[in-house]
Amino acid sequence: MSASFTLPHIPIEQFTLENGLRVVLSEDHSVPVVSVCVYYDVGSRNEREGRTGFAHLFEHMMFQGSENVPKAAHFQYIFNSGGTMNGTTSSERTNYYETLPADQLPLALWLESDRMRSLKVTQENLDNQRNAVQEEKRLNYDNRPYSNAFLRLNELIYQNPANAHSTIGSMQDLDDATIEDIREFFRIYYAPNNAVLVIVGDFDPAEAGALVEKYFATIPRQPAPPGVDVSEPSEVAAPFETYPDPFAQLPALMLGWKAPARRTPDAYALTLASELLLEGESSRLYQKLVKGDESVIAVQGSIGERRGPSSLYVFAIPKPGRSTDEIRRAINEEIARLAAEGPSEEEMEKLRNSLLNDSVRGRQTTMYRAQRLAEYTLYDGDPHFVNTEVERYLAVTPDEIKDAVARYMRTDNHAVIEIIPAPEGTRQAEPAADAAAPQQEEEQPGAPPPQLPPRPSTPEPAPPTETPETPIARVTSEK
Amino acid sequence: MMPDNQLETFRRQPPAPLAPRPLNLPTPEETTLANGLRVVLVENARLPLVTYRLALRTGDAHDPPALPGLTDIVTSMLNEGTETRTSRRIADDVARIGATLGAGASSDNTTVAATALSQFDDQILDLMADITLRPSFPEDELELTKQNALQNLIAQRGQPSFLANERLARVMYGEHPYSVVSATPESIAAISRDDLVRFHRRRFIPNNAVLVVGGDIRRADALRRIEEFFGAWQPGEPEAAAFPDPPARARRTLYLVDRPGSAQSNIIIANAAITRTDPDYFPVLVMHTVLGANASSRIFMNLREDKGYTYGAYTSLDARRTAGSFRATAEVRTPVTGESLKEFFYELGRIREEPVTEKELLDAQNYLTGIFPIRLETLDGLIDQLIQIKMHDLPDDYLQTYRERVSAVTREQVQRVARRYVTPDIAAIVVVGDADALTDEIKGYAEEMEIYDSAGQRKDTPTPERAADETTTNGSNMSSTSTTGDQAGFVGSWQLEITSPLGPQTATLVVDEEGGALRGRMSSSWGEAPLDTITQSGDIFAAAIALKIQGMAIQANIEGRREGDNLSGTIRTNMPIVPPLMFTGRKIS
Repeated sequence: MSASFTLPHIPIEQFTLENGLRVVLSEDHSVPVVSVCVYYDVGSRNEREGRTGFAHLFEHMMFQGSENVPKAAHFQYIFNSGGTMNGTTSSERTNYYETLPADQLPLALWLESDRMRSLKVTQENLDNQRNAVQEEKRLNYDNRPYSNAFLRLNELIYQNPANAHSTIGSMQDLDDATIEDIREFFRIYYAPNNAVLVIVGDFDPAEAGALVEKYFATIPRQPAPPGVDVSEPSEVAAPFETYPDPFAQLPALMLGWKAPARRTPDAYALTLASELLLEGESSRLYQKLVKGDESVIAVQGSIGERRGPSSLYVFAIPKPGRSTDEIRRAINEEIARLAAEGPSEEEMEKLRNSLLNDSVRGRQTTMYRAQRLAEYTLYDGDPHFVNTEVERYLAVTPDEIKDAVARYMRTDNHAVIEIIPAPEGTRQAEPAADAAAPQQEEEQPGAPPPQLPPRPSTPEPAPPTETPETPIARVTSEK
Repeated sequence: MMPDNQLETFRRQPPAPLAPRPLNLPTPEETTLANGLRVVLVENARLPLVTYRLALRTGDAHDPPALPGLTDIVTSMLNEGTETRTSRRIADDVARIGATLGAGASSDNTTVAATALSQFDDQILDLMADITLRPSFPEDELELTKQNALQNLIAQRGQPSFLANERLARVMYGEHPYSVVSATPESIAAISRDDLVRFHRRRFIPNNAVLVVGGDIRRADALRRIEEFFGAWQPGEPEAAAFPDPPARARRTLYLVDRPGSAQSNIIIANAAITRTDPDYFPVLVMHTVLGANASSRIFMNLREDKGYTYGAYTSLDARRTAGSFRATAEVRTPVTGESLKEFFYELGRIREEPVTEKELLDAQNYLTGIFPIRLETLDGLIDQLIQIKMHDLPDDYLQTYRERVSAVTREQVQRVARRYVTPDIAAIVVVGDADALTDEIKGYAEEMEIYDSAGQRKDTPTPERAADETTTNGSNMSSTSTTGDQAGFVGSWQLEITSPLGPQTATLVVDEEGGALRGRMSSSWGEAPLDTITQSGDIFAAAIALKIQGMAIQANIEGRREGDNLSGTIRTNMPIVPPLMFTGRKIS
């Protein structure tokens, strides 16, 4: 990296309303668009046993109407004004966001404030959205190869149920959700003092500040939500399991480790280690397994960052005739080599340049900046990390990477799943929606379900890291 | 949770927009090198980034008919070695500067794309030119790429969306090359280094390509360096391909792809529609937006928000260079598959019969004109648009006039194109799901039905002579049919060619008749074994057989259809790792 390089600075203005709502504004007049996002401090980590999937089900309910916005009109107002929108739920938070032509900023604030102050929760909407969520679960997990095994991996990694269960939740718990549960959930978590509002784009800050005041200031503060216990012993919950998968055409292997919480020195080092092992065709595991040994069809993995213990996973599909044991040994050998020798000088250069490249590329969109600002405000109390965080990564030394791999990616403390293709049709045909679900305990990790690239030459799409509320419009016409 | 009363009357109506803010469209500069390479440059110094994209007018549709998948193999081999760099060296050189470099193909175009921090501009352009112009296609890397491609063919059959798109492409495009969505085990086995070299030489030519450069560049410098790296690229003879027309459809047919145990049904309802340059493009785009492009469109509001059948239901406008289709799609839970078809056909009929409302038209137009600048936020988004303009020869003022063209569409035009391109009476319906659970539920939604297995083979009995009002639904319970029809036609020795991921296999099948029933044995490198529980009906037969594949004892079912002295069908094992094996054969005695 050239020493002269400085990352373009993102301007930040922040204030807090009387009711506790934290607000961040960032002006940018390059393109006449504005991105607005609201992050609520509630995710699957806040759910207790028997109530899994509530944060995500609730996210769907947020599109079902409020005092002045009819059911499902939220989508319509946004799309019909030329905007895009979505909501997603992860272990850490639930977010809602839209990008609109710049002159439509008041519309976004009107919509977000109306549902924060006056969401309508009815039995009919609940039933309808429960169905949509259950279809989402079937689409993204139950009907896909390997996906449910990924949820299972988190249950083997984490002992604390708050960490181990999936964001999508269990069919049974979703069926059990009552209207009272949902109303209570809204009261506790969807309060201005439990949220962050970020606006990035082409606006006048004084005008935007006044609009925020107008739409949000009169929403009453609520008592602080109950605390969350995400503490974990350092041992994984279970070291090994085989997982029959009726849709998998090929056996596969998953390894998972506990990792340190985000923004800790070890987490920076381990994130860089996982890049060296797993990111791209120059990565160590790709070069060893796909290229050198020619023993796997695909290998992928990453770190799933959390405020509590994070996790790290590796997923590989062996070639026919290669055993999963052999692949597991090879992966662990490569990890052991990194733990013993540390990264090379060339690898450190690569890490520095890809950190800068990724930071610059991401900054192109107002939505990317809005989301990073919201995360740093919500999790760390300071949006300015958006400008300084890259320095923390750049300061990591080869020894710190080596040391973090040695302490965390251990063969005596990891969870392993061997996925075995089960005969076609061994699953029950899908029962009626009110019957017991065939797999109630499937869980989602911070790590995403993998998708094999459909064609050998297609670059792999970035896997989803969260559960999207509704797929955004497909604009195949413009491709 | 509702406030006691609402004093804030400003909340009752959506707020008016603020003063509009101007969109400054970039002004690309275009030039052509002596070898015919068109170069488009866009300066944008907002961020220290540079992006290059080279697009060639050649894609999967230009694969030689015997070698489907060749374009994909060529593009995935570009970064597996050049005259001066090994595969490993390319990966390391790109990674060391933190850049991205990749190639891919669609049915019409092939692209090579690169992005880097602008301080690495020289290095990334050098790498991009190297893999584009001087790939060496090393034999060992080709072998590995082919092996992995073969495994991907197996893996993709686990995805219901692949099965749906494969069947749809077959029925919509017939002899037109868009009917092919994937390589085959045979084509992958057959592709040689010579094929790659020849294909690259003939189709990677500068006078069939455009290079778009955007970002933190200075035009004069950029052009000088492009000339330096791409100026010596030798032009060739662009080949105009004449493709057969897609078949004309005469009736509504349901193509059911059986995926036992499927947790959902994937539905696609499709009609032939327009190419990308059709004068009806903008009216169709607006019609598509009203009907199903996004989560405020009619189909989403009906099937998801009102009925709760699905996580998402949409239409898609597949407008390519030489043909196109208009599709409605959803993944729904199995017990409401029939009801979902009903709602789809209700909406497909309504958009034809009733004019859309003024508000619907305006909403759709606002959507399209509003998301237009959002797409231009990134360099990649802008370059996508410029590539599309160049690849389809759209007018130079396309970006400048896009929003006007959308706004000019009328309600009458929307209804006219709906009547022309949304034609439910002759639609192809593809459903991928559990046939046992679905057949009765959905068979009434089409005049005729065909059933396929997940290997893409016809499962049911094709009966061309059947009366128009009959439907064939017995595909999955063939073993219960009585032994009737032309039993003697099967008696004899058959030489079978079996396609398998391990390479082609030959087998001999000997069938005779005893006591009015068929008996048989099959011998191959997988051992010799008797056929058990043979059933036969007309030209169709099925039997169970025990095989030994790679030392494993495997139970399999063999199903075949006889046409005179030819026999074709599928061997399905109880091992999901072994894909259904297709065979063809002929009678040898």
